[in-house]
Amino acid sequence: MKKFNLYKLLLAALILSFSACKTDIEVPTASNGSADFSHYIALGNSLTAGYADNGLYLEGQQNSYPSIIAKQMKSVGGGEFKQPLFNEAESNGSGYLKFAGFNADGTPNLVPVTDKTAVRGTFNAPGFGSVTLYKKYSGDINNFGVPGIKLQQITYAQYGNLNGYFERLLPGEAGTNSTTYLDFATAKPFTFFTNWLGNNDALGYATSGGVGDALTPKDQFAGLYNALIAKLTANGAKGAVATIPDVSAIPFLNTVTVAALLAGAKKVNPAAQAIYIQTATGPRAATDEDLITLTFNSTGLFGKPNAAQIPYGLHPLNPIESKYVLDKTEIATVRDYVNSYNATIKSIANAKSLAVFDAYTFLNTLNVKHTDNGQSYTGVFIDGVNISSAFITGNAFSLDGVHLTPKGYAIVANEFIKAINAKYGSTIPLAPIADYRAVKFP
Amino acid sequence: MIRKLLLGACIVMPATIFAQGFQVNLQGQKQIGMAGAGVGTAMDGATLFFNPGAMAMLKDNEINLGVSPLMFKSAFLQDGSTTVENNKNEIAPPFEAYAVWGPKSGKYKIGIGAYTPFGGLVNWGDQWSGRYALISLDLKAIYIQPTVSVKLTDNISLGAGFVYNHGEVELKKAVPISQSNGQDSKATLKGTGEGYGWNAGVYFKTLSGITIGVTHRSKVVTKLKGGDAIFEFPASIPAATLPTKFDSELPLPATTGIGFGFYPSPKTTLALDVNWIHWSVYKNLSFDYDNNTRVADTKSPRNYSDGANIKLGVNQQQTEKLALRAGVGYAFTPVKDGYVTPEAPDANRFIASAGLGYNVSKKFVVDLSFLYEAVHERKQTNLETGLSGTFKTHVYIPGIGLSYKF
Repeated sequence: MKKFNLYKLLLAALILSFSACKTDIEVPTASNGSADFSHYIALGNSLTAGYADNGLYLEGQQNSYPSIIAKQMKSVGGGEFKQPLFNEAESNGSGYLKFAGFNADGTPNLVPVTDKTAVRGTFNAPGFGSVTLYKKYSGDINNFGVPGIKLQQITYAQYGNLNGYFERLLPGEAGTNSTTYLDFATAKPFTFFTNWLGNNDALGYATSGGVGDALTPKDQFAGLYNALIAKLTANGAKGAVATIPDVSAIPFLNTVTVAALLAGAKKVNPAAQAIYIQTATGPRAATDEDLITLTFNSTGLFGKPNAAQIPYGLHPLNPIESKYVLDKTEIATVRDYVNSYNATIKSIANAKSLAVFDAYTFLNTLNVKHTDNGQSYTGVFIDGVNISSAFITGNAFSLDGVHLTPKGYAIVANEFIKAINAKYGSTIPLAPIADYRAVKFP
Repeated sequence: MIRKLLLGACIVMPATIFAQGFQVNLQGQKQIGMAGAGVGTAMDGATLFFNPGAMAMLKDNEINLGVSPLMFKSAFLQDGSTTVENNKNEIAPPFEAYAVWGPKSGKYKIGIGAYTPFGGLVNWGDQWSGRYALISLDLKAIYIQPTVSVKLTDNISLGAGFVYNHGEVELKKAVPISQSNGQDSKATLKGTGEGYGWNAGVYFKTLSGITIGVTHRSKVVTKLKGGDAIFEFPASIPAATLPTKFDSELPLPATTGIGFGFYPSPKTTLALDVNWIHWSVYKNLSFDYDNNTRVADTKSPRNYSDGANIKLGVNQQQTEKLALRAGVGYAFTPVKDGYVTPEAPDANRFIASAGLGYNVSKKFVVDLSFLYEAVHERKQTNLETGLSGTFKTHVYIPGIGLSYKF
């Protein structure tokens, strides 16, 4: 029997030793290519700041796409990347929306988070109105994302008195500021930049149904973009820019549909024939080519009778107000402007040999319907996750239907990284998007 | 120190390979030592699996038991990443048990065998980059096969067996619905199923002394009914809207094989097998749920093509007590480009084996085997999940078997 023990021992030793063997795959050599990532700065608006769920708060900031890019750049010579983070005690920043489960009718119940905010007061800007002010941030900054900023405003000296998110970064009190955004962001030396400005020049118009804001004139956009890129590249820095997404492809304008409203109305009154909307040329019946804002649902206006007992949205005499509708004509207008902005962005970037992340094309792929093997889906599959422009279930967009989830921002970071690697021959590793969350379910 | 030495050994091992898809070619310790060739020879009770037709040619009545702890060591490098991810160290236990009996020098033999021709154990963990495609799969198919074999003449024998399959599966996946703590949701599918098939073969001793075997093992469609579907989802998604049961089926493919035995000296046996595995029956992996309120039925395309393998082994009776064995083989994967998944990160593979048998007494034999498979590196983007990257796998399989002759 002694021999058997020996065999057993041998076998046990074999098993042990082979479980220690690890299969390996050769990884690409780390290289920064022709770019220098040691001092990276990010310019942009809310998307760049990490704004999500209708607010700027600490978790969103920590998952901003520039912070993800900077983290991935570490292995190829990337340096420190500082963001103007809210303190832990004020981690809810501006406050934001939280998903609190489903209502009885299946719609999501979104509730505001109002504790632990960083609001420090308000400033009444002469000729402008009330500006919410936030606790100041005084440290180094690499992420210059300022929610709300338009390209149109980057050289406007008074802007630091009108936007609380920008005011927060400046040393002076609201009312005393005169530093332009462009000067502030480029004040310290940098070797690499990303720039995703320009969204709000079209978005403000689109999300207010084409009546609450004006589109930035095309030639003004081109002039400012030229000035911006000239300044960013003046000292030889390299960088990447992104195009402006098609604003009609976001959940904010694709979740509440005319068909869904009509179906809802028919449940109450089977005789309902059409949804009526107010347009620049008067009221008319809505079609699938008119987009309703996400926020319309929560107004509770739909179907409500007015003084003359005419239900809201169901009769030409009480149509859905223009601010809740981006109608067909307005869509055409905004698309025309966005196409022009994007032509400008691409031509200037190409002239300066910058990397371009075509956010317009990429985000549009999230809105395309497919049928494979008898099963239909919208958008794309990345690492086993269906990413689409669907509200909540699409994984990319946060609860405001405009800004992204951490997963969405990680995907954007990876698209930037791919463009940068392709342009400069670098090997910044892609971020593992599975490690970033989508909309949180309670 | 032992660990260090053996680690060295596994690095210098030649790049080799073998099993394909979910097929586990570990059905007899003697044959494993010969790279899994055994259709054209009658070596022991494992003949019941390799070629029921050869069973009647066995000299002895035998009971054979064996186990082959299988270490499937896979690596994944996601496209654009620099972090290599490995599956967890878990050991799958394919086993085999055969009993063959017949009257001494009689015309027939009967036997029964239990073995694990298909299976898979791969666990990537719930934190790897492909976790929405798969966390882990544990699949076992246990075939039980009563068999009869008859000698028609001294040179020709036939045999056939009925196959009952008991299948077990447990599949885990992360679901990209973030919980309130930011963690993923999870889905587990767990169940048992059964299927039926047959195994038949014919065996010739030619005048020149070469032996030839031809076999066909039928496909076994394993039906799984009423398996448990466990969805660990956030509380805001009411449990009543989620499935609790699922049905599925897995077609385990037929294999057609031809094997040759050559006997250059009384002490030396050479075995050569060529097998065709009809994997093209594996078109889809479908799951039908009992509640589709929130979770739709799924139908994942697999679209396998047929697979094949060729194996060459040698058995050398070194002394009266000691036999030495070795073998090489090559297997062609049935998994087409675009369909490689983390549950079967398959590619063509090279196989090398070694083994020894020791006659402890006239009645009692111990066999040891070692099989190594190198699955070629394969860079893929899965068409269904979009998971894109390079898989590479090495498989290490030591084995031990005990035989009792009577």
